[in-house]
Amino acid sequence: MQDSATISTGERTPKEAAHERWLIDQSCRRAVLTWLVSATVWLLLGSVFGLLTSFKFHIPYLLDTRAEFTFGRLRAMHLDTVAYGWATMSAVATALWLMCRLSRVPLPYAGMVTFAGWLWNLGMVAGLAGLAHGNSSSVEWLEFPPYVPPIFVLSIGIVSIWTIATFRNRREKQVYVTQWYIYGAMFWFPWIYTTAALLCTMVYATGVVQAAVNWWFAHNFLGLWITPVGVGTAYYLIPKVLGRPVYSYHLSVLGFWALALFYSWAGMHHLIGGPIPAWMISASVVGSMMMLIPVIAVAINHHMTMRGHFRELRYSPVLRFTVFGAVSYTAVSIQGSFEALRAFSEVAHFTHYTVGHAHLGLYGFFTMIMFGAAYYYIPRLTGRDWSSAFLIKAHFWSSAFGITLYFVALSVGGWFQGLANITPSIKHIEIVQGTLPYLFLRSVGGSFMVLGHVLFALLLFLNLMGYGSKRPQLVELNRR
Amino acid sequence: MTVPDIFISVILLGSVALFGLAAVLVFSWAFRTGQLSNFEQAAQSIFDADEPIGQPTDRFPTANQALADNPRK
Repeated sequence: MQDSATISTGERTPKEAAHERWLIDQSCRRAVLTWLVSATVWLLLGSVFGLLTSFKFHIPYLLDTRAEFTFGRLRAMHLDTVAYGWATMSAVATALWLMCRLSRVPLPYAGMVTFAGWLWNLGMVAGLAGLAHGNSSSVEWLEFPPYVPPIFVLSIGIVSIWTIATFRNRREKQVYVTQWYIYGAMFWFPWIYTTAALLCTMVYATGVVQAAVNWWFAHNFLGLWITPVGVGTAYYLIPKVLGRPVYSYHLSVLGFWALALFYSWAGMHHLIGGPIPAWMISASVVGSMMMLIPVIAVAINHHMTMRGHFRELRYSPVLRFTVFGAVSYTAVSIQGSFEALRAFSEVAHFTHYTVGHAHLGLYGFFTMIMFGAAYYYIPRLTGRDWSSAFLIKAHFWSSAFGITLYFVALSVGGWFQGLANITPSIKHIEIVQGTLPYLFLRSVGGSFMVLGHVLFALLLFLNLMGYGSKRPQLVELNRR
Repeated sequence: MTVPDIFISVILLGSVALFGLAAVLVFSWAFRTGQLSNFEQAAQSIFDADEPIGQPTDRFPTANQALADNPRK
């Protein structure tokens, strides 16, 4: 265990406070970097899979000579690489760093968490190899073959236990709202993943039960894993970067408990029109609308904390990414609540509109906040500033423009597609042809997003290789 | 009921019970330990002696040295 005995308690001088944070950062450095660097590699790979999948919509014979590159396999490989490789691994990296910082304790036995990261990577390689060879479970969001979930459960189980251990050792007795979100996520994700993997890839619940479990999991992957980590991170970064306490702590706590209460109901709205009991769908629609409570609470809080300080967006890269993510969270969540209504779903469901919505959530909201968090904690872990402000700005604008174009193109195209789908006089081939311009724009947007990922990976690589000036705080500490 | 049916029912019902029980326990713990009363202290717990309220903590790389030299700028 890192040098926890040297960490002081009670009132600290500025130098002691900086030293304490440095010790904490050093304790979790290797574990956090293992998870984040792995996440970045999976992001690059998942981006390539995604881009190829997107191109196939308007160039259908692209790379069609090998089974590994057919649409069915590539689409599953893209989804699982970005969901489990990028999103989950970056979420763990960020959560690990935040929980150590907020609990004010070093990460105990950090080697185990590093080991868990390599275990997760092993699961990813095994899963992707399985998908490439056509060994998919055919259950969306749970496509990996049945030998992968035990590896993932063991890995995330270690991370969850370490989170609880850090919480129990905490020196800061007041639990900050970010910790509520992270501890919630660390409990919910192993629970929903284990339950769904058991029922959908191992024991095989069939028929209606399988569909219900499938969408209960898929929606809660976003709602009880990705969302709490993303929102919790924004609740730390915005006040911390601005140097301004969150506008209303009451609202933040209300938002957390409302999310805990309502989000797990929402998954069944994916099955509107499907052969499952109507009451399950109705309960889910109610849960989806009730989600407006935590969403509005978060939106008010973030906006009011930023109010009067929007000029800071010019100077802080972390704030740019995080505020973009926070605004996207409000937009995608309000959109999602209304998408759950039966009348809305009648048009939008089974169209590209839903794909645009999903990407606004996983990318516009979550990924942008993870980028913001990485720009904050990586220099503190490596002791070096980023090597190029220009590359950071290019990354931001590339990603922001890319996801905006992606979302607008698919929302407009998907809505027209949905209206045409429920008009019996329009031939199906005409509907498909009508979507092509929007799908081409989606590929253009996706290409900008991939460019952003390459720039981020380059900046991370340069930082780890020692490019960038030493942070002043580290120079000061080394004089001690 | 077949054996898989029983297994599936146990997983589903056990899962619901675990989630509900955990939520009740955590909420009652939060209430008992005062986590839901001292909100002002909680909101300020992320600031430090060297990173106090009023001091921004992030800038584009070229501006970082200036920030460290004069935090109020």
